[in-house]
Amino acid sequence: MTQNETRRNLARTLLLLGRLGLAAIFLFAAYAKLKPQAAMPWSGSSIKTSLSLFAMQVDSYQLLPPQLVSPAAHFLPPFELCLGLWLLAGVLLRYASLITTLLLGAFFAVMVRTYMAGLEINCGCFGPGERLGPLTLLRDGSLLALALAVTIGAFLQGRKRRTESAPVPPVSAPQRAD
Amino acid sequence: MISRTNRHGVRRMALLAQWATAVLITVAVFAPAITAQATTPTAARSSTPAHKRVAADAAPGAPVKTIGNRNAPITMEVFSDYQCPSCGSFFENTLRAMIQDYVANGKVYLVHHDFPLQMHTYSGQAARWATAAAMIGQFQDVDAALFDSQAKWPVDGDIEKYVAGAISPANFKRIQGILKGCAAAPPTSKADRTVPQVDPSCPVDQYIVQDIVLGYQVPVQATPTFIVHYKGQSYPASSGIITWPILKQFFDTLLSQ
Repeated sequence: MTQNETRRNLARTLLLLGRLGLAAIFLFAAYAKLKPQAAMPWSGSSIKTSLSLFAMQVDSYQLLPPQLVSPAAHFLPPFELCLGLWLLAGVLLRYASLITTLLLGAFFAVMVRTYMAGLEINCGCFGPGERLGPLTLLRDGSLLALALAVTIGAFLQGRKRRTESAPVPPVSAPQRAD
Repeated sequence: MISRTNRHGVRRMALLAQWATAVLITVAVFAPAITAQATTPTAARSSTPAHKRVAADAAPGAPVKTIGNRNAPITMEVFSDYQCPSCGSFFENTLRAMIQDYVANGKVYLVHHDFPLQMHTYSGQAARWATAAAMIGQFQDVDAALFDSQAKWPVDGDIEKYVAGAISPANFKRIQGILKGCAAAPPTSKADRTVPQVDPSCPVDQYIVQDIVLGYQVPVQATPTFIVHYKGQSYPASSGIITWPILKQFFDTLLSQ
């Protein structure tokens, strides 16, 4: 195995691990927001209650007007679930990772703004009960860095694939220099 | 050399393997939680609201820092500090509307817990006034007066003036009588979660300390923090300012279950 091949395999493995890591995080985040609270069993009603509880966490960021809080809270967890499954599947990874990076970037910006404003609220990142603080900022910043790395990796891999599969121009016979 | 057909086959297999992994991981993530939810008995996961635990231990004549009907389907416990701006904003913009709407209609029972923060010079003293008012059944008026004038009394600590303006002179005299022996510094919550000292000559301090200890158990990490109880179940504590339309939506979801 040449050095180039080893490097390529390592890059591929890192990309796979990064993608699976992000997928697991998004699946868990969606699950934590949708899971029934208190002692309720899984049902439409329990999911509705969990989403209402999540809406309170979204509201506590004091970023959106009340009429937008509920739609945002009802959209985010299913979107995270779909994004997690998309990342796991690895189909059109460039787009999946780009959307992930943009989403994590938005989350991180909102969290930094809230922390700087001195609001002492729950993060709401992985369900209720986690306070927004330096540790949550560090964690979300690391996730953003990982998403960025996966996006760059996915775009580089895509470019390499395109270059490899491009038709080779016909080679003309060398002219004899008489 | 791999032929084009073989290469397609390998790609298809890889895609299939990825989807299989996706399904397996999803099942692995969701299954334990679903099983746990299905097998844990309801009673084991229910918890007694903190105010009921307090009521069980409370001596006769203990302050009643509550608003509304105790048989209301929803109970909301709020841990608050009278000098904290977020608590003031939460009271003025959310709790006031809730009291007028859902508490007055018997849907919500509001329980106040004092959680005076150490960094606020006069919040412990304000908690003393509110607790003394609760001992003579004047909690709601004094609670509202303290939040309404939150921008004024922290300037010089003259809380008395605003309490006197909210209740009758006779009731004000009774409250003054209760607080007569309260000369030592009032109890406040500590960052290291140690239980504050109780001044034995101040009859309200033990109740404030009781609230602070309850707050440590939640645990209250910031004020305001509130917990909602419905049908014997407690929902996770929320902190910060939640607007009334969103809180109302949560209550409506609970009531429609």
